[in-house]
Amino acid sequence: MATLVQVEDLRKEFGNVCALAGVSFRVEAGEWIAIMGPSGSGKTTLINILGGLDTPTSGQAIVDTVDVGRLDESGLTRFRAQKIGFIFQQFHLVPYLTALENVMLAQYFHSTTDEKEAREALERVGLGDRIEHLPGKLSGGEQQRVAVARALINHPKLILADEPTGNLDEANEETVIQLFRDLHREGHTILMVTHASSIGNLADRRIEFAHGRLVQVPASLKSAT
Amino acid sequence: MFWRLLWKLLRGSSGRLVVAILALVSGGMVISALLNLEFDIERKLTQEFRMLGANLVISPGHDAAQMPGAAPSALMNESDAFAAIQNLKDPAVVAAVPFLYIVERADDTPVVVAGTKLEDLPKLEPSWRIEGQWTSSRDDQIPCVVGRNVVQQLHLALNSPLHLSYVGKTAQLTVVGIVDAGGAEDNQVFLQLPEVQSFAGLPGQIGLVQLSVRGTAKSISDYAARLATALPAYEVRPIRQVTEAEGDLLNRIRLLIVSMVLLILVLTALCVLATMAALAMERRQDVGLMKALGGSITRIVALFMAEVGVLGAAGGLVGAILGIELSRWMGQRVFGTAISVRWEIFPLTIALMVAVALAGALPLRLLGKVKPAVIFRGE
Ligand SMILES: Nc1ncnc2c1ncn2[C@@H]1O[C@H](COP(=O)(O)OP(=O)(O)OP(=O)(O)O)[C@@H](O)[C@H]1O
Ligand SMILES: [Mg+2]
Repeated sequence: MATLVQVEDLRKEFGNVCALAGVSFRVEAGEWIAIMGPSGSGKTTLINILGGLDTPTSGQAIVDTVDVGRLDESGLTRFRAQKIGFIFQQFHLVPYLTALENVMLAQYFHSTTDEKEAREALERVGLGDRIEHLPGKLSGGEQQRVAVARALINHPKLILADEPTGNLDEANEETVIQLFRDLHREGHTILMVTHASSIGNLADRRIEFAHGRLVQVPASLKSAT
Repeated sequence: MFWRLLWKLLRGSSGRLVVAILALVSGGMVISALLNLEFDIERKLTQEFRMLGANLVISPGHDAAQMPGAAPSALMNESDAFAAIQNLKDPAVVAAVPFLYIVERADDTPVVVAGTKLEDLPKLEPSWRIEGQWTSSRDDQIPCVVGRNVVQQLHLALNSPLHLSYVGKTAQLTVVGIVDAGGAEDNQVFLQLPEVQSFAGLPGQIGLVQLSVRGTAKSISDYAARLATALPAYEVRPIRQVTEAEGDLLNRIRLLIVSMVLLILVLTALCVLATMAALAMERRQDVGLMKALGGSITRIVALFMAEVGVLGAAGGLVGAILGIELSRWMGQRVFGTAISVRWEIFPLTIALMVAVALAGALPLRLLGKVKPAVIFRGE
């Protein structure tokens, strides 16, 4: 399998706070990686750098042959549009756009909109009957499914999910996780931050963080949150 | 999708935008009203001043100033003067009326008699009020129009006869109209010019010509200069008090209007600015998201600018419609006459309001600095 993500001695400092203190790892195309670790250990910082929302202080982060640290503002913008699908804990849907329009917004910034394709994406996540609903009229799980449809609409190389089930109750968590399983089966590459080891266990691999560094854990020794 | 997004943005923030659109509508309204007045005021004011009567006089040479009521010391040739006016063919000339003044006697009372073109007097002096007719077409009488003071003095009334005598000649006239000129003319009797000419034994001669010329102070004095060139033997002079006051007043009103328009533009821009600053804060989240989805700052800001542009255009259009009404109302109040609608007000007001809205939207540029990573953390 080809290497999709290659991180080499990645560092990120915010003033004198060291969020990432030299992190190195690889992700193969098609892998599902769970990123775990206590609060403040640098998980979101890593996701942001890999997704081109933030730039590293030093080190390399290569995603699909692009060295993210070397991109300028407009290069990062294009990179995000073309390679990355984000899913956030807070969903981040635009409140005055319908489910369909939220998906089409991603199409709009990527290239051109295709309403039919956006509808199909929503049907895929089981929201065929919620297409014209505003986010406020959707449950948390439904909103997150809209976000998943939006993240997938431009066929990204890498799906970055930062605690996608962090705001969901168990039933909704179940449906969303089921979606990730489907995505994984279809060959998508997923990096997912999670605090729940039950979810972490579903992934191919787990990467544990502590104080901005990777902790190598034997597969047998599972840390609870 | 652009327009769909635009529409949703407008609807999504309608609460806030109502403030901006109110500012734009009211700004646009006052500005278009003022501009409509400004465009129309020149025409309006010159019309108003023309209401005051003749604004140009042709008289015999410089040394022989002919005052109404004075003896005909120096005279002009009627056909010369009118040939010159005819030749210039200026459509700005509203009326050109000859006058020949002599002093006759009614019983023992001397009265100033003005020979003129009775039917042209209302054009020359639209502010004069007439009771009865300006003239009569009946063959069996010689019509005259009598100033209101003369009527009192000689105890006359409409249709009463008036006997005048002039060095041995007498004439019996019929009062067909009583005029209230609000000036020296109230002491005069007006007859058709040929009657006075034959009375005085001065056929073809006149004392002066009064003209009412439409236009600005400058265009009137230009016309006077051309007329003077055509009539070198006579003196042509504007009645200065009126035309200069006219130009001066016009300039002052213009200055007032222009400074008010500028002030209102600034105030409107400030109001839009305040709204947009608040809106920019409100939208940081959405902008962060749009950026995370790969939206370039140019496209995102273009979207917001288009939104503001639409607001400006809508505000300008509605404002212009209301403003036209306002200017009509003001015209009615200030000038007592209808202000006509200048259609160029619409594009002008809309363009101004779009410009003001865009200037007021400068805070939206701050959204360019939004960093999604920071925004999302802020939750
Ligand atoms: N923009 C920032 N400015 C300053 N400090 C920051 C910034 N972003 C992150 N940090 C700091 O970097 C460290 C790592 O933060 P990060 O958000 O990556 O943690 P995390 O692992 O995602 O935590 P959590 O599980 O609570 O989401 C923290 O100490 C945090 O305070
Ligand atoms: Mg985090």
